[in-house]
Parts: sequence; structure tokens; C-alpha cells
Amino acid sequence: MAVTPVADGSGSAGPGAFEHRGNRTLRLLGLLALTGCTSTIEGAPLGGDGTGGSLATGGTSSGTGATAGVSGRGGSGAVGGSSSATGGTTTGSGGGMSTGGTGSGGTAGETPLPHECADQASITPGRAPLRRLTKAEYNNTVRDLLGDTTAPGFAFPAELSGNGFGNDADQQPIPDVLAEGYASVAADVAARATAKLDALDSCAESVTTANEATCARTIIDKFVPKAYRRPLVAGESDEYLALFQTVRSTNTFASGIAAVLEAALQSPDFLYRVEFGTPDPENPALKRLTGPEVATRLSYLFWATTPDAELTAAAANGELATAAGVRAQAERLVADPKTRDTVRFFFEGLLPLTGLTDEARDPKQFPTFSSTIGALMLAETRAYLDYEVFDGPGTWTGILTEPYTFVNQELAAFYGLTGVTGDTFQKVPVDTTQRLGLLTQGALMTGTSVTNFTNPVRRGAFLLNQLMCRNLQVPIGLMVTPPDPYSAPTARERFSLHSKSDACAGCHSQLDPMGFPFENYDAVGLFRTTENDVTIDATGSVPDMENGDVNGPLELVQKLAQNVEVQSCFAWKWLDYGYGQTLSAENPDDVCTREALAAKFREVGFNVKALMVELTQTDGFLYLGAQP
Amino acid sequence: MTARKFRLSRRAVIRGAGTIAIGLPWLECMEDDVKAQAAPATAQRFVGVYQPGGTVIDKWRPSGTETAPVLGSILAPLEPVKDKIAIIDGMELKSALGEQHQAGIIALWTGAVQGVAQKYSQSKPGADNASLDQVIASRISKGKKPMASLQVAVRWATGKSHGLLHPINALSFEDTSGNAPMPPRLEPSEIWTALFGNLMPMTPAMDTALLRKRSILDFVDKRYAALGARLGSTDRVKLEDHLDKIRQIENGLAETAVPVTTACQPPTLIDTSDYNAKSGLNSSDTGSIKDTQTDQAIPKVGTLMMDMLVMALACERTAVATLQWSDTEAKHTFPWLNLSEHHHYYQHDGVFNAPACEKIAIWYSQMHLHLIQAMAAVDMGGHSLLDESVLFFGSEISQPSTHDKREMPLMLAGNGGGLRTGRYLKYPGVSHNDLLVSILNLFGDTRTTFGNAKYCNGPLTSPSLT
Repeated sequence: MAVTPVADGSGSAGPGAFEHRGNRTLRLLGLLALTGCTSTIEGAPLGGDGTGGSLATGGTSSGTGATAGVSGRGGSGAVGGSSSATGGTTTGSGGGMSTGGTGSGGTAGETPLPHECADQASITPGRAPLRRLTKAEYNNTVRDLLGDTTAPGFAFPAELSGNGFGNDADQQPIPDVLAEGYASVAADVAARATAKLDALDSCAESVTTANEATCARTIIDKFVPKAYRRPLVAGESDEYLALFQTVRSTNTFASGIAAVLEAALQSPDFLYRVEFGTPDPENPALKRLTGPEVATRLSYLFWATTPDAELTAAAANGELATAAGVRAQAERLVADPKTRDTVRFFFEGLLPLTGLTDEARDPKQFPTFSSTIGALMLAETRAYLDYEVFDGPGTWTGILTEPYTFVNQELAAFYGLTGVTGDTFQKVPVDTTQRLGLLTQGALMTGTSVTNFTNPVRRGAFLLNQLMCRNLQVPIGLMVTPPDPYSAPTARERFSLHSKSDACAGCHSQLDPMGFPFENYDAVGLFRTTENDVTIDATGSVPDMENGDVNGPLELVQKLAQNVEVQSCFAWKWLDYGYGQTLSAENPDDVCTREALAAKFREVGFNVKALMVELTQTDGFLYLGAQP
Repeated sequence: MTARKFRLSRRAVIRGAGTIAIGLPWLECMEDDVKAQAAPATAQRFVGVYQPGGTVIDKWRPSGTETAPVLGSILAPLEPVKDKIAIIDGMELKSALGEQHQAGIIALWTGAVQGVAQKYSQSKPGADNASLDQVIASRISKGKKPMASLQVAVRWATGKSHGLLHPINALSFEDTSGNAPMPPRLEPSEIWTALFGNLMPMTPAMDTALLRKRSILDFVDKRYAALGARLGSTDRVKLEDHLDKIRQIENGLAETAVPVTTACQPPTLIDTSDYNAKSGLNSSDTGSIKDTQTDQAIPKVGTLMMDMLVMALACERTAVATLQWSDTEAKHTFPWLNLSEHHHYYQHDGVFNAPACEKIAIWYSQMHLHLIQAMAAVDMGGHSLLDESVLFFGSEISQPSTHDKREMPLMLAGNGGGLRTGRYLKYPGVSHNDLLVSILNLFGDTRTTFGNAKYCNGPLTSPSLT
């Protein structure tokens, strides 16, 4: 069954919807209309019948359906003939997969795409909106520029979660308090740096009235290019010297130098990652990045900080002008321990881990749980992922299914594991009749439960959105009321209204079957086979997956590891994080970048570090995309 | 005498009302003009206060009549200022469609419906429209005071938002095209320095420091202008927005010196080193964020925050100030109330604990009493700061057990714009957008709708706020 594309911006989505979301909103509302869910919608006008109809088939997969609608070229999605592989993910629904994505490109009279992804000759760099350093990047950057280890950027106000990783270039507004923070933090950093002036340059050790201008110039020419992550252009050094002299006329030498640092640390060349690119010699219509721009991309991608000396030298020598040169540096960077922090940061944006350290549960129902256990669960998952990516097999599929985990004595006791002593986390085999891999860990099961009761919908939504990139959203106007926890002995029964009501089934036929298998873990992640003395029915299914029916969490995680959407989505999330954007199913270049990276990920056997290197080999990375 | 009534200019009436209307009866000779002009002086200051987690409605609801309310246990602490508050009962957050707390906090000051996305989305990171406080700031404060507005928060972004600006914790939205959510200021000593760092008289050293600061900002200013001009339109706007904020700082520097007057008496900066304003906010944090020491300091820090906020107004640093008590997660404890679990736990993460929620709500009333009394104590020249201000107090839900957003516990205080207090006003089932537009009207903004138009029927008339 083909998915009928829905025209963009087709009519009003009603006052309830944000304009920019109109498209997706329409789909969801249309779906609800079709299934008669209007009773739960507060009067938001619905799209036309045609819209609703189009959703009856593919639209059940929501965001993914949108991809199909826009791309309208299942065939092209078949990168390298693995049509059911990447093709499945881009065409979205089960319909797309079962018919093999035969590429009915341009159905319903769509505007043809400017190029086809599979066409190797096409360069599809996507967008390159101006990125600003995040708080964490600011901290690392001043650490590496000036040896300032105080993490001063945490004084800046909250960032928007944006793409889920807090680094979305399209979601970096500049509130008053941030501009003020840039000034006051720069002043603090500069004061600390100029308290030991000789660290900036040895000329400061013996500075006199006669030579201080020369020394200031030396410091400027040494520091500012590093801060700007590029060589200075004519006149820039002079401007800084003039600032130094103005301030010096009524202040100390150190204060004059501090003014230079303060200005540099507030300048857009430092705070923003400015890219102008350079025409591609092979295709002057396109722009490649300059050496320093590539070095900056590489360094922030892997280490979340400013380029080191070796990268800067590589940029200056022209080594970063080719994909192979970029790869060589990427392989150096990914092997460095600093990349471990980046990987950890990525996973903590992807997984529901942030609230773990302050989860609370009813002590009567969960006497062994405390927020300390929550914190230990977080440590378990961190240790597991760190080992798995850097010291173990290193694959995403492995992460989902390994028969071991990391615990210390206290956490082992909580799980009922014996033979582990001490505070140090150690690798131990899990009982493979109860647990396998990341998703069955306490952190994930606790992090997807917000109360004393499990919520299969939350668990299902996490899997669909974060692991399958389906972007299922709560429809506007739907009052989400979890069922009365005492209404039935098991969650499946409590949530059974969803399957009884056609209105709800549209979304919940995807959500609930992904959540029910995890009912074998309670609200603090402990394994159970019964709830309120009733045996748990842990059957479920992976939506739109052939032979996707499962019985229990172990079968589910194994299916997920083999699921094309789960495999591709991991690469797509890395794109969002790595490129500081929300790549869009509506942008043809983005679709191509996603497909290409997903195919590479498959080629490298789903190795995470290799995927990170491949992030540097896409058109989006090597070429300068559209600058809005 | 009766032969000829002299007429005051309209300006004279406005001016007269602005300075003396509260304290003195209207001059009879102005009466015709009063009738012709109708509106009293517009409100001069806005204060918004947010309290998380709703209330226990039967303990909150007053009894008695409109003009003789009898306060229930939760509002009882406000008895000393009963004549200065207007209790708003029965309203519904109709624009708060959808999921639990976050729909409520987004709608509370915007009257806007939350986006489909759980996160603010790509092309429009904010709400559908600016929040009330920011619209008022554009009208009465921006460009007129050193700071367009002041947002402060206590124990904010606890829990799962983990320090990120998120639909579950943002309350103010910029009055610019993107309507981006605005992060509050958190660190008390930094707030004090930003507000009162340069008290008059200035010393020569302070002058030199200011001059130095200006040289740096001037340098930075030029760099943003030059680089911005070379960028594509959207990227250029980013740098222009940034430049705009730098210029605000530059302009503020010109007025940095705070003249200490009868009204302007900056509060003493007490030691708040036991309070970690950023407890649990950074992703690098490990371990439990249950920070009992910081929680223990909440009453002290909250009081300082309120005192600073009042003086920010009295010292003319800004005309719009907001205070957020935590956020919708409210994952901090209340050791001074002997409540060792967090607020959300008592709301429903555990089981709805009405006595604990009542105790917490009573404490918030006690804090609010302090704020109202502090504003009433400032003499602005024949009338108090409270007399010329409007305070809006509210929460994102009404009933913690169900996330119910009907029968919202809302309250106004102050007499700015002719707001009549000492009243218990019932608006059963009325959309709170009508209240938002009525508040705007107190500031001389004559619009008849605010927020999502679908949920706004126009200013409140029965009873009217004035």
C-alpha cells in the first residue's frame, strides 16, 4: 500500500497548532478524525477528509509517514539495493516495506526532487545554520585555551532542549541574561588568566613601559587566532591593540590584557562557529569548508572543544581539503579518551536518564529503592555504554543485546545479584532469562516510569520516538489521563481501553505493544512475572515489522536490534547531535544524508565509533550547506 | 462658581491620577473630565509570581461575599493584606490543552496552546505569542528602564528538564517574532550585583571600571555589526539579536549608578553560600540531586529574591519583575516544613497527599504576604509601590491529584490601573485568557483579546476588575 503524500501546508491546522507543525498536526488530527477520536479533542478543526484518508494506511506511523509523503520515492531510498533496509525506514509504514518500496516516486503529481540520493554525482549538503557554543563546549574551550578548569559556562542561563541534545542551532535565542553572562563570565575568565600573565606569554614576565605594547601584541597574536579558531585577517590584531591601549591608559597592563581576552571571549568569532567556506575546485557552484572550519567541525564533534595543535596544523597544511584527510584526523580524534565524554553526553540526550538521580517511589511498595539506587542505575548504564563502545564490541546492536552489565555491591544487592563486593562497578553476567542489553537495565525501566506504576505507553513512546525516530506526538487537545492504578491488577488490563476504543487505537496500536513486553520490569526496574498476583502477559510486537510479534522483553530487544528503523534511527540521532540541528524528513538533502549515513552504519556493522567517523564523510560535513 | 468649570487638560488628569489618585479623592472640578476619560491612571509596574503544583481547592477557596471574603486555611496568611488582594476563583485554563503540567505553565501567562511537539520545535522555538509580562514590559519598561524586565527563580529546573529550558519550566516568552522562552536568573548574588552593583555615589574606581567595560562592549558591538553584515538573513538576525542585547547592556551602563532614595533602599546581600542555585542543573552532575542544604535555604533565598525584586522596581531598574518558585517538576524538599520528599511526590508521584500539599500552599501564601507587604511599605511619594502595581499570582494546575485546570487558584494584588481589591471574585468556567486581557487593560493596553483567540471572550465585565 502506497502512502499518499500530503501536500505541505495544506490548509489550516486550526488555532491549536503551531503553524510550522501544521503539517504533522494535520496528520495526527486527521488520523484521530478518521478513527473517531474527536471526542477527546477540544474542537481543534480537522483537516480535510483526504488528509485523514491518507493517514489510514501509512499515516499510522506518523512522522515516518511524513518522510514517505515528502520523499515519494521509495525506490531511491533503496540505497545500494537494500530496499527493505533503508528503503523501509524512509518509506515509513509497513505498507512501504511489504511492497518493497518500489519507488513510485512522485505519486500524486508531486514536484520531483531536485536529485536522487542514490546518484553519487549529486552533492547534498543540507543546511548549515550558524551554531553557537553550548555551555559545555564553552567550558571545554576556555579550559583548552586558557587552562581555566572552573567550568564557568555553567553560569549561563538554561539552554533550550531543541533537538534533544541542547545544541540545536535553530534554537539558540539570546536572552538578556545570556548576553550579560557572556560579559561577566568573560571578565572572570580573563581575571583568572591575567593573574598569571606569564602563562599567556613569557614576555609578560619582564614587562616594562617601553616594551609592553610589543608584549601586548605578542599575546594578541598568540591568543586571538586560537580563540577565533582561524588566522587573523589584516587589521584585526591592530584593533585589539587599540583596545588594549585605550584600557591601559587608565588601568594596569594586566587589566589591558584582560580587556583583550574579555573582548575576544564575547566576540561572535569565538562564541559562534562562523563558516564562509571556499568554492569547491571541482564544482565551483558548491562550497567546501576552509581548513580551519573543518578542524573546528571535527574538534567540536568528537571532543566538544576547540581544535588542538595537531588539528590546527593539519588545517594549515591543507590536509583537511580531502575526505581522506578528514577521515585520518577523525580516526585520531575518535581514539582519544576525550571522545568518551561526548558519547556519554549523546546517550544521555537519547535515553531517559536525566531524572534518575531524583526519582522517588513509595517506600512501602519499593522498600529497597531510593534516589541513591537511581544514581547507581545511571552509573551502571554509563559504565556499560562506555565499556561497550570503547572497550567492548562497540556496536549498537550489541548494546541492545549484551548478556552482561556493570554493577557495584549496592546495586547488585538491589538487583539480587550475588558475588559483587565494593563500590567499584564491575562487569557481571546477567541472568539471561531476565535481562539482555541496554533496554532491560534498571535505569531505562525506572527512567520510563514516573510514578509507582509502570506506564507501557511511556515505555512504548520512548522506543518509538528515540529508538525508531517516529516522532509520535501527543495530539493537541488530548487529555492524557493515566488509568486509575487500582482499576485492574495488571497494566495491560488498565490500559485496555486503548484497544477497545477505535479512537485511541490509531496511535496506541503502535505504542502499547512496544510497552507491554517490558511489564516484566516494575516501576524501579526489578524483574517480575506477576503483578498483584496475576501472571503478566508480556506479549507485544514491533509495529510494521515482519514477524514482529514477541513474547517478553528479551524477544523484544532482540527484534529491535534487528529492526531497520532502530538501526537507522541511531545514525539519524547522531546526525542531529553531531550537526547541531534537527534534520528534517521534509528536507530532501537531509533525507539523503540520513539514508547515506544509515547505509554506512550498516556497512560498518553498526559500530558506533565507525559511525562517528562516517559522520565526517557526508556531504553535509564536507561541504558548506545552505546558510539560512 | 457654577458659571464656569475650568477644564484640566487630559494630560493633567492622567498626571494627577498617576501621582495622587490613590491617596486622595478625585477633585470635583475634574469630575467631567474623569467621566469623559473614564480610565484611572494606568498601572505602572507588573509583578508575576508563579507557584508550582496547584492547591487543595477546598482549603484554598474563601467563603463570604465579594466584598467580605472569609479566607480559607491556605489563604489565611494573607489576612493582614486582605484589602489589597483580589481573589480570582472558578476560572479555567482553557487554553492549556493537553498534557498535564506543561500545557498549564505554557498557557498561564500566554493564553496560548502548547505546541504539538514536546520540545520547542525547529522553526519556532517559542510559544504562539509573547507572555503577558513581556507584552507589558514592551509597553512600560523596555527602553525606559535599564532592564526591560527581570525574571528570577528559586530552585528552578529541578528534575527531568535538568537545567534545560523546557516546556515544563518556561513561563516567560519574549515579545519578539520568535517568542522564545526566557530563562530566569538563579544566583542571588549575581542578581544583586546586576541590580545594585553600582550604588551612588560612584567612586573614581567605579568610574574607571565602567569606562573600561564600555570600551570592551564598544569593541564587541562593532564586531557583531561587521560580521553580521556578511551573513545570510537568518544567521544575520541571530547576530543582530545578540547585538541588540549588547546594546541594552551598554545603555544600561549609562544608568548603572543607582541613586539611593527614600523609596530605593537596596536590600542587604545576605550570605547565600549555603544555597546552590544550580543544584542538579548541569548534565555533568552525578549522584543524587536531593540537596537538603540548598533546600533548607529556600525561605531565606526566596525572601531575598522578593526583596530584590521589590527594590528593582522601587529603584527604577525595571518596571516588570517575575518570580518563579521552582517549576512544574518542583523536585525539591521542604525541610523547614518537615517535608522530606519533593513537592511533585506529594502531588502525585507518590500518592496525592492533601495535608502536605496544603502545608506547602500555606507556606507559599506566607511568602506572598511578605512580597505584598514589602511593596506596600515602599513610599513612592504619597502612595505605595503596591498602589501603582499589579501582582499576578497563579499556578499551572488547580488539583494536583488529577492535573485539573478548572477552578484555578488565581489572585491579583495591588491597585495599579484602578484594580479594586479587597474582593473575592467568582468567574465560574470563564477562560483565564479573559483575565490576562483584563490585566493588560489595567496597563492602558486597550486590546480586547489575548492569547489564543478561541479561548478569549474579551475583558472581564461581571464583575469587572476595576
